[in-house]
This record gives sequence, structure tokens and C-alpha cells, in this order.
Amino acid sequence: MPIITASIDPVTRIEGHLKIDIEIDTVQGVQQVVEARAIGTLFRGFEKILGGRDPRDATIITSRICGVCPTSHAFCASLALDQVCGIQPNTAGRLLRNLVHGACFLESHLLHFYLLSLPDYIDGPNMAPWMPGLAIEKRLDPATSALLQSHYVEAITMRRLCHEMGAIWGGKLPHTPAFIGGGFTALASAEQIADFRARLTQIRNFVFETYLPDVERLAGLYLEYFSIGRGHGNLMSFGVYEQDNAGQVRLFEPGHIENGEGPVASVNSAVIQEHIDYSWYTDSASARHPADGETEGQYPKPGAYTWLKAPRYQDLPYECGPLARMKVHGTYSGGVSVMDRHLARAREAEILVDAMLAWLDELPEETSAYTPCTIPQTGQSAGMTEAPRGALGHWLSVDQQKIARYQVITPTCWTVSPRDTMNQRGPLEEALVGTPIADAAMPVEALRVIHSVDPCLDCATHVVEPGTLTSAS
Amino acid sequence: MNISRREFLKYCGISAATLGLTPVDLKALAAVLARPDAPTVLWLHGSSCTGCSVSLLNYISDTSPHDITEVLTQSINLAFHPTIMALSGEASAAALHQAAESGPYVLVVEGGIPTAFDGHACVVYSYNGHEVTMQEAVQHFSAKAAAVICVGTCASYGGIPHAGPNPTGVVNVRELTGRPTINISGCPANPAWVIWAVVQLILGNQVPLDSVGRPIALYHAHGLIHHSCPRNPAVGGEEATSFADCQGKCLINLGCRGPFTEAKCENCWNGKEGQGHWCIGVNAPCHGCVEPTFPGPQSFYEPYLPESLT
Repeated sequence: MPIITASIDPVTRIEGHLKIDIEIDTVQGVQQVVEARAIGTLFRGFEKILGGRDPRDATIITSRICGVCPTSHAFCASLALDQVCGIQPNTAGRLLRNLVHGACFLESHLLHFYLLSLPDYIDGPNMAPWMPGLAIEKRLDPATSALLQSHYVEAITMRRLCHEMGAIWGGKLPHTPAFIGGGFTALASAEQIADFRARLTQIRNFVFETYLPDVERLAGLYLEYFSIGRGHGNLMSFGVYEQDNAGQVRLFEPGHIENGEGPVASVNSAVIQEHIDYSWYTDSASARHPADGETEGQYPKPGAYTWLKAPRYQDLPYECGPLARMKVHGTYSGGVSVMDRHLARAREAEILVDAMLAWLDELPEETSAYTPCTIPQTGQSAGMTEAPRGALGHWLSVDQQKIARYQVITPTCWTVSPRDTMNQRGPLEEALVGTPIADAAMPVEALRVIHSVDPCLDCATHVVEPGTLTSAS
Repeated sequence: MNISRREFLKYCGISAATLGLTPVDLKALAAVLARPDAPTVLWLHGSSCTGCSVSLLNYISDTSPHDITEVLTQSINLAFHPTIMALSGEASAAALHQAAESGPYVLVVEGGIPTAFDGHACVVYSYNGHEVTMQEAVQHFSAKAAAVICVGTCASYGGIPHAGPNPTGVVNVRELTGRPTINISGCPANPAWVIWAVVQLILGNQVPLDSVGRPIALYHAHGLIHHSCPRNPAVGGEEATSFADCQGKCLINLGCRGPFTEAKCENCWNGKEGQGHWCIGVNAPCHGCVEPTFPGPQSFYEPYLPESLT
């Protein structure tokens, strides 16, 4: 049998524009993916858009990098602004940021499992946009399938409730204006806290009684997906959800794990390098610390195939996301696979929802959440946090109270990156290799691997501009 | 399904004043919705953040259609929407082309259209071995569309990807195609405004537009945000000078663009009309996200004047 070349373009049920090229061959009697390339097909150039602006605008502009994790960018930018101004948020500011960000995290996780992933396993309603659907092997009996369909519809409501909850203090979602350097614009009334708690309780019930049981139900029927889609097994988290105003303790701590098994090592952003051998950018060197990068778009470019660069940590490709966070957190003992990613995401939702209830108890009423702060004439800072789908860094450089440079490295830049100078595949590319494919004309198994990492190409597809990278605080 | 379609009409009846519908419109809508096949909508994403699609999922109303599930299952035939459709790959592109060739459709565009790198800053799908750029897709599908709705400020005016040095040469749909569009601006677009526009098209209603392509009923008719703002000093408020002390106070010194922004915004976000939230409700200045001038080079936190007045 000759090697079959297949393209999935567009990969749907993600955010943004992604094409996957795979080669399929029969190895030891099993038809499977033997080669993969992940191709980001959108380039926007956010850092150039930010240059010269009032640094305080960063929360508003970077939110628009992604409509699915807008608060992650707003949060990250506000951390960078706090740092460059040399202030800490007060308790109200810290907790309001955590709560509104938490609302969007939960929204993203529910959206991801039900709307983006589940159609890889069950048929949707018998109409567009769910039909025509994927020709897929049906392992779920009709009753279970109908149950999951009804949960799909319920999840649409639950994810809306998450945004309505976040908007109590966010004002509007996606794209809240409430995250600011120094804290948060809103202050909380007793009535609003009760309103938030009522919605959170409803969402908590769905997470505990429906979401995690549904993932476990699906995992039980697709046990082979615990050994499909492993990839390199390198996992990294920047940490998120400050538990004290100094940001010394976080609900999910930063750390990285090489090759799927402990120990958890600390993260030092100084050892991040970006490679562009296979990316549509021109540079005199193929791998640079972002502080030294000189990057201009170049399309077409021989050998290149994507608008994403290839960030590497100590020369290794790293996957990030809920599985990385849960492994670093120490509460998830499974392996690295398609189903481990889904299970870790659902378990994280449980931990987060309970943490949010605790933050509500701590939230001071009718207290300004803003700590006055002034942008310095010059300064540099790094905001490092986590988006629902993984590690997020914003690096800010201020000159004459304007943005001199602004750099963003998003989770999908890590996970969906192309090959690097050493010709190592990116994490998703590696995860695809070895995936058994029953029908090369409709490689649904590959879609299941792709969706398990929750790619967000809206976030990933922009250029990192030359600038100075400082270590994470 | 017929019952729900009747409920949809009931919604339109109840909201007739808001929607500007006449009894004749309602009769026409009944005829359209009685057809087994709902009007086809094709949704293209360009240089966007997907935020307008996420916002659409937040649609909620007291009356039918109550939410986005009802809209999708009972009001429209959304034949192509990459974020939620089941199909993937070339099969999804084929569905798009088939839907476009099989009858009239409404084209919805979310995101701006990059023209740099010969359009290759945004490839939307492959079809018959050809990588189709957003630029090509919008030109192709707008040509035969019954109408084109631009959802969000990026598709309407360029928005944030068009800001600063416009790194990817983003243009809006009207600039690219030369044809008129119905612009539902906003960053993101408010879902109720989007559904309103779709209902007008189902009805075959003329939608009076302002000079920048927005339905007057949703924007200009509501006047400037500042004029009806509960924080307006004219109704007894005072002007805040810091976020540390701004509860209930006018935010004009903190960058509010309400004096230059027209939209049906007040308490119209993330909730039912008038019972939801908005930026000003959480002590945040209006950033004027519905205006063609958004974001502009000006700071969001300094007193605002449009460039045309400076």
C-alpha cells in the first residue's frame, strides 16, 4: 500500500484557523498516522498593534487576541502592568480577577468538551450545523447517545450562565473592560455576591453531576484513547489563581514535568527559545531567545509551513493545558493521552469551582478593588499565568510611558508548534503519529487527538516581536 | 417544531415595537417560517478572535426564540460555521459550496479580511486542492449572497487587527467587495442585535442604515450613550478622577467614549434585554467598541476626543 497523504482543512470545532496534513501508512498490520504537520493559517500581528500605545491599554487590546479566553489575556496584561508599576492588587482586586477569570475558565472547559469535542463521538441533532456529520463508529447505545445529546444542549445553557456570572463584575463577556493595572474596576455588593454564588452553585452541580460523569462515561467506552495521542509527554504550567496578594501562592502552581513522569521542576522562562526554521518568518538565525528575536513575515518561504513559531523549553517541545496543570498540582495520577486530557480538564473544573466558592466567602463587600498605580517612564515586566488551554506569557517593555515592546506567547504556540531546528515535531504533531486510522478519507481518530489538546489558533497566530524577556517572578 | 415557530412569531409579536415590525411583517414571517427549510446562513471567519461567535452563543430572551439552541434548530439553517459544525476538512468546505449553490443564502462575515501576503495571512479552507484565502472566500460568496451581514467591528470597519500599522493589510467587507453590508458592529457584536438583523432579512424587510452601514434601530435611534447614562453629571452625578473612587460617578476623565458612541447597550449584555450588564455598570468607561473609530490610537484611559475633532 502506498502512503496516503491527507489534509484536514479546515479543522473545525476549534477557535481560529488550523490545517493538519498527515501521512497514513500500514505498520505491523495497523493503518496509522506516520507523519503529521500542524499548520496555523492566520497571522494578525498583535504586538505591532500594541506598539506605541498607552501601556494601560494592554488589557483591552490583548483581550481581543481571543474571544474564548479573553480574560486570560486581560488577566495576564494586568499582572504585567501591576509589576511594571511596582504594586500589588488588594484583596478585592485579586479575588475579583480570580472569580471573573474562573467564570471564563469554566465556560471554556464546558464549551470545549460538549460543543467542540463530543461531535467526534456522537451524532448531533439531525440538522445543520450538526448534519451531515462525521461517518463514525457508534459505540454509544441509543439511550446514552440521546442522554449526551441532551447534555450538549444543557451545556450550551451552562456555558452561557458562566458568562452571565462573570459579567456581574466583568460587565460584558467576551471582552470585559474591568481588568485594569492596579486591580479591577468593579466593586462587589452583597446582592451581587449572592447572585454570583447562586449561578456558581448551579454550574457546580452540572460539573460534578454531569460533566465529569459524561467524560468518564465516554472514556469507559473508548479505553484505547488512554494509549492514543501521547506525544512527547513533556508538560508545563506557568501557574494561575493567586491565593495571596503578593502572588506567592497559587491554586495551580507553576512547574514542568519531562517525559510524563515526575519530579515537578520549577519554570525559568529565561531558557525559552523560539525556532522559526519551519515558520513563515525571516531571521538571520533559526533559534533565538525571544529577547533577541528579529522577526518579519515571509510568505512563501522554502520549507516553511505555518504562521506559528516553535517555542522550546531547554530545547524540548512542551505541551500545556489542564493535564499539565493537574499533573503539576499532583492530583491527577493518569498518563498522557486523549482521554487523560479530557479527564484532567473535568477534574480541574471541580477543583476550580470549589476554589471559587471559597473566594466568594473572602471577597470584601463594597470595597474598591483598585490600588492606585502609575506607569513608570521606563520599565520591563512579565505577566505569566494560565489560559484554559495552557501557559500564557505577556512581556511588556515601557519607554516614555508608552509600550516599546509587547510580546505574547500563548498556550497553542507551545502545543501546536511546528518542527524546530533539531527537527523535533511539535507536541500535537508528535501526538498524532501512531494514531490508528480506520478510514483515511475521514480520519476521525486524528480529529479526536487534535481536539483533546483544545487548540486555539486565534491565540497562536501572531508574531512575537523583538524584545526583552525577563524571568518569571 | 411548528409550535416553536409559532412561539418565534409570538416573540416577534411581543417585541414588535422594539423590532420595528408591523402586522404585515409578522404575516410574512409566518409564511417564511412555515417552510420546512429555514433560510440558509453561511458564516465565514476571517481575521477574528471568534468572540462574536462566542457572544452569539450567549443569546437569551424572555420570549421565543429563547436562546441560541432555538435559533439554530428552529429559525435558520446554519450550513457552515467552523466553530460548531460537526464536519471537518474538505467535507465541510464541500458543504459550504453545496449550500451556496443550492439556493439563496445570507452571508455572515466575522473578522476582518487580510490582504497582505496575497491574502495568505488568512487561509480559511482547502477545496479541490486549492487553499482558499479569506479574501477569495468573501469575494466568491458575497457575489451571490442575498445579503451580507458583518458581525462585529472587525468585519464592519477593520477593528483591532486593522489598528496601528495594520500589519496584515486588513480591509472590511465593504472595502473589499464594494457592495453594501449590514454592519452589526461591537467588540463583540451583541447577540440580540445579530438575531434582530437576521429576522429582518427573513422577513425581507428593508433595514434603514446610518452612514456607516449600521441599522439605525440598533444604534443611532438610541442616541449617545452619554445622554442616557445614569452617571451623567446632568442627572446629579459628579466626575470621577480615579478608579479608586468612581462608584456611580461619570467616567469621562477615565477615558469614557460614551459622548461619542451610539448603541443600544444599557444593561443589554449577558442577560435579557434591559436586565443584563454593560461596561458602565461595572465602573468601566465605554470604549466605543461599536464605532468605526475603535480602537484608534488614543489611550482608553485618558479623556477621549475622536481624531476628527483634534
